[in-house]
Amino acid sequence: MKNVKAEVMGPEPPCWRCLAVKKAVEKVAEKLKTEGIIVQLERMNIASKEVVRKYGVLFSPALAINYAVKTMGRIPTEEEVEKLIRSAE
Amino acid sequence: MAYSLAPTLKPADFSKYAWYEIPLHYLWDYFSHGWICLLFAFVAAGLVYEFMPKQIINKYMGSSKVTGYAIGAGLAPFFTVCSCTMVPLFTGILYTGAGIGPAITFLLMAPAANILTILITGEFISWEIAGVRIIASLATAVLAGVIISKTPWGSAIEKEHQISQKPGAVHRTIEIVKPPLDERLISALKFGGYLAKQILPYFLVGLVIVGYVTAYTPPRIVEGYLTGITGVLIASVIGGPLYTPTLVEVVLGRSLLQLGMAKAALLSWLMGQPYDIPNMIAVSRIVRWKVVAIYAFIAWVCSVSFGLLYGISTGSI
Repeated sequence: MKNVKAEVMGPEPPCWRCLAVKKAVEKVAEKLKTEGIIVQLERMNIASKEVVRKYGVLFSPALAINYAVKTMGRIPTEEEVEKLIRSAE
Repeated sequence: MAYSLAPTLKPADFSKYAWYEIPLHYLWDYFSHGWICLLFAFVAAGLVYEFMPKQIINKYMGSSKVTGYAIGAGLAPFFTVCSCTMVPLFTGILYTGAGIGPAITFLLMAPAANILTILITGEFISWEIAGVRIIASLATAVLAGVIISKTPWGSAIEKEHQISQKPGAVHRTIEIVKPPLDERLISALKFGGYLAKQILPYFLVGLVIVGYVTAYTPPRIVEGYLTGITGVLIASVIGGPLYTPTLVEVVLGRSLLQLGMAKAALLSWLMGQPYDIPNMIAVSRIVRWKVVAIYAFIAWVCSVSFGLLYGISTGSI
């Protein structure tokens, strides 16, 4: 049993690229559930003070796994997301 | 005549076409000649966006005012080919220590200096205009940023939005994972394609409209109103309300130039272009109308001054 936190950060209202990242994470989460890895997905407004305080100026869309920004300004593939989540501590 | 990378139809050529043939000929002219440029511009935009080191902005933003302005003016515009990155970057710059000055600089510089606009302006109109526009926009953007950061409204917004950063309280974790080169190239091309998909539909509709404008506007009117000092003033003002989607302002500017608009007025026209309306609404929600009004005013004054200056120094007013 393992819990992984995934934060998808993009503008509000969401743009297409940000939603694509979210969808990739959702698919991976669905797949990993059977192996006992629980992915907690949260969508955050990249232009909010909360996000800027936490991570600084980011490029949309950004993805953080367990509070570390792993990708920004691009859409990672599902395999990549899976690898990131599996290797998360 | 050698194969031209820019469209070749002249306004006078339209007189031989019926009204329904105009858009067809105009579109054909643009795409048969302009496709290499357009393709190149979108691929270049995708590559630049993918390979520019994005972490720089995260690392250095907020370290000092001068760095803030340098990043706001010099680096950030290359990333903002996609409108969905612009507002987040604007607020990000505002919230970090850099404050409102660099944020405004970034906001004014971004539409003038993004890769797509530079390449298309250079190829379809002239590289001289493209270069002058960058320099003039840079001066305008920095000036507006510095002035606004000194006004009471500007600093009020800066205070309101600045995040108190206690030393030691911030430990940002940025561990960007870099995919292998081939994947990055593919994602760069994908991004270029995505941009094209976003921009080209509006561009097509814009071309049809510009086709009609070119065919039916008597050169007399353009020569009468869009030359000289009056021309600069009119061009700088109509740029605002006459909202045109990305790249269409270049095509329309090109047409007006052929119809007799002075180069000075063309520069003012290009500089007077507003930004994406959705972006502006999002921005005005954050900085409120007083700041928006000040920067619009500074931008207008600069577009007129640079238009006149360029016209006088090149004798093409």
